[in-house]
Amino acid sequence: MDFSQGIAMVPVSAEISPTADRPSQAQAFADAMVMEKPEDRDTSVLGFDRAKGRGLPRRTPRVSLIVVLPENHVVSPDRLAEGLRAHGNQDVDVVVACAGQPINLGALQRSVGDAQFLLAPAGTSTEDLRELAMRQVPGDIVTLLSGALLPTAGADTSLLMTS
Amino acid sequence: MLSPRPLSVIVPVRDGSATLARALTAILASELPRDGYELIVVDDASSDSSAELAARYADTVVRLTMRKSGAAYARNRGAELAQGEVLAFVDADAMVRPDTLPRMLQMLADQPGLDAVSASHEQTAGAPNLVSQYWNLLLHFGEQVQAGTGGNVASPCAVIRRQVFLSAGMYDEWRFETARLEGIEFAHRLEDSGRNVVSSTDLTITGLKHWKLRSVCSEVWDRSALLARSLGYQRTRAAVPSDVVFTLSRALAPAFAVLCFVAFSAAFLPTPNAAAKGAIVVLGTIALNFPAYRFFAKMRGIPFAIVVAPLHILMQAINGLGLCAGWVLRDAVGDREPDAATQAYAEVGVEIWPPVPRASAR
Repeated sequence: MDFSQGIAMVPVSAEISPTADRPSQAQAFADAMVMEKPEDRDTSVLGFDRAKGRGLPRRTPRVSLIVVLPENHVVSPDRLAEGLRAHGNQDVDVVVACAGQPINLGALQRSVGDAQFLLAPAGTSTEDLRELAMRQVPGDIVTLLSGALLPTAGADTSLLMTS
Repeated sequence: MLSPRPLSVIVPVRDGSATLARALTAILASELPRDGYELIVVDDASSDSSAELAARYADTVVRLTMRKSGAAYARNRGAELAQGEVLAFVDADAMVRPDTLPRMLQMLADQPGLDAVSASHEQTAGAPNLVSQYWNLLLHFGEQVQAGTGGNVASPCAVIRRQVFLSAGMYDEWRFETARLEGIEFAHRLEDSGRNVVSSTDLTITGLKHWKLRSVCSEVWDRSALLARSLGYQRTRAAVPSDVVFTLSRALAPAFAVLCFVAFSAAFLPTPNAAAKGAIVVLGTIALNFPAYRFFAKMRGIPFAIVVAPLHILMQAINGLGLCAGWVLRDAVGDREPDAATQAYAEVGVEIWPPVPRASAR
């Protein structure tokens, strides 16, 4: 699959309110959109400190956590926190790879303030999202956490979801 | 049940994008609940897209950069991250059957005294070419003949209790930067420490690698030379008799005896004839390899056995030369060691990622 088009990676910032309506939220994402170029892949890991990127000697491995959210999938903050706890006190780069736009960021922001978002076109498959995110993250140890299908009734509003 | 998440499946890969997807898909198709195991892929500085491909299926991907360090090193890094009480090592070019891993787990659960189980090769290879089919059948032959004895606790697929793996000192990443005999050496070490290792002929995998004549020759040469140089022929044969080096060399000494016999008897032939002598040598070698050829014919038919007969003789010749080279190197140069820089880093104890290969616990 050609991942060079239609992919954006953006930080979750204070300007993006978890309660914002979807058009303004989409605008915020669009403003922050950074298109990946293949030649940038190894030298500029999007959204991450370049000095911490791959290829430089380090004492400890760099750890990344990818949360994979295809359309209509959710991940609970508890599960996310569990994924982070598995790495102990290490710094973890969190990337949320979404197909479509996430509509509820509050829960995730509370759990992980500096998460990065990777926005793929709606309809992107789970496997493609995983591969896409893997190309972007700088970690030596990369843990992938898949979301679950959105509950139909009585959904927990604190879940992070895509539509 | 051992625990809610009893198993960690570790797959080392280096430039394995041609087979990795099939290998991982087969693991995911195992008759195990998905939340009952974790899948860890360790990418050994691949130059292809193995890491990205692995991310499509795995729970954790470990990227080793800077230098290629070998499957032993990669498996050890995966084991260090593993949470499961049982570790399964599956090669990136091996396709497990849906019941392979569950049955291996069941064997460990049913037999508390059993520490490790290794699977064997199916008689058919994933690649259709003749060399791949021959090589796979040769591996299968050795494993069938030596059923129930100690096996290779690494390739193509093996499970081991995590505590046993750690207490035995893990794989020897100091000497085995190529994926050859680290599983043999480890099985040897386990047997020496009184651990119970079994190679099962019922638990099988399909080899997916596309072997070419050159790569098979290289494999036989490297395995033979390394075994003779680093492990010791007799001691290893006692521990892991199913290895292909022993399958090939089983008839080698008699083959040399035949050559000597022919050379001796040729002096008494009324008219010395090179073609006749050659025919006698070939027939003698075939006769001495009769069990293997009979096995090939039984599995694939007589034409297949006839076609691979010259290939088999070639492999035996390379095997013999490799063993001789290994013996000479062992006495002239000594055992294998990593390069001087690695040894220096290890001695100083530099803390770096990826870690410097650790000296083995021999």
